[in-house]
Amino acid sequence: MQEFDHIQSLWQSHSVEVKISSEEMLAQSKKEVAGIRAKSRLNIIGMVASFATLVLLLLFAEFESWTTLAGLSIIVIVVAIYTFILYQDHKLIAQNDITEHPNAFLNKLKAYQLNKYTIYNKLYWVYMAALSVGVIFYFYEKLDYLSAIMQVVLVLFTIVWMILCATVFRKAYLKGEKERIDLLIEKFERISAQFQESH
Amino acid sequence: MENKEKLFKEIFDTNSKKIFHLCYGYTGDEDSANDLLQETFLKVWQNLDKFRNKSLISTWIYRIAVNTCLTYLRSEKRQAKDELTDNIIENRPEEFSEKNEQVALLYKSIAKLEENDRLIITMVLDELPYHEIAEISGISEGNLRVRIHRIKSKLTELYNQHARI
Repeated sequence: MQEFDHIQSLWQSHSVEVKISSEEMLAQSKKEVAGIRAKSRLNIIGMVASFATLVLLLLFAEFESWTTLAGLSIIVIVVAIYTFILYQDHKLIAQNDITEHPNAFLNKLKAYQLNKYTIYNKLYWVYMAALSVGVIFYFYEKLDYLSAIMQVVLVLFTIVWMILCATVFRKAYLKGEKERIDLLIEKFERISAQFQESH
Repeated sequence: MENKEKLFKEIFDTNSKKIFHLCYGYTGDEDSANDLLQETFLKVWQNLDKFRNKSLISTWIYRIAVNTCLTYLRSEKRQAKDELTDNIIENRPEEFSEKNEQVALLYKSIAKLEENDRLIITMVLDELPYHEIAEISGISEGNLRVRIHRIKSKLTELYNQHARI
């Protein structure tokens, strides 16, 4: 039979170790946001790279039909617009520091989350429709140079790839992104709540 | 800014160990305790300019930590305390000893207490003065004394129960 004094001495003899410094702690908080920023930046870099490749193709590739030019131009414009929209969304979370301006950052993060949803839902279908028109125009001439089998393979591959992007990949990306940002929003709201209540 | 960082470092170095122990006692889990420590000190960092010297800074930090603990587990819907405290033994087989077993039993017993009681008793175990605990937990000192007496008896009973098993 033990008394409370024994329990207290046991508690005090169990030394705990804080494995993090104040600097590391603040850096860690910024790191969680940095992960989302990096992913968004990578997304934009990928789009810019696609845009550059398409422009090079537009400038230097040889084609005879106006449909190829029209197709490529549509794709280039669509990619440029979509990249711009993504960049505008990225700017929301690019500058604010969560450790310095928690409420401002929280509001921006919520706006970013909302925009992301619009970009990958309503706008995505417009993007896909325009991209499909561009691809159809582009293939109109280009497929003529290929054998029948290659034509079928290329068309099928393009259709399957676009369907995959619009369904599986888009949904998986949106789900992952939503879960990640929801967790951060929940955490930052929890952190802000105590002082909103008392001030 | 540099001054703020310097002050924060000082505050962190002085208080982090006690706050971590409080969080560890509350959750019985090192990872959760680390999360709670981080959230507590992030609040401290963000609101340092709002601190008025009406109370001790340690009291202010404890109050933040207590609030953080209470809201954290509710929103995170963490796993049952029993599972968490079992980790203390299971995760460190190399450190297994009679004393560690007793420590694990202690955390297991604390985990059986109500959320608020858990926080109060960890402050008692850390020998915080009663008037400070009263200020942190928002209970009058008279009521707190009665409550602490009850929690102490309950914890001792739970510990002895676990020890017998």
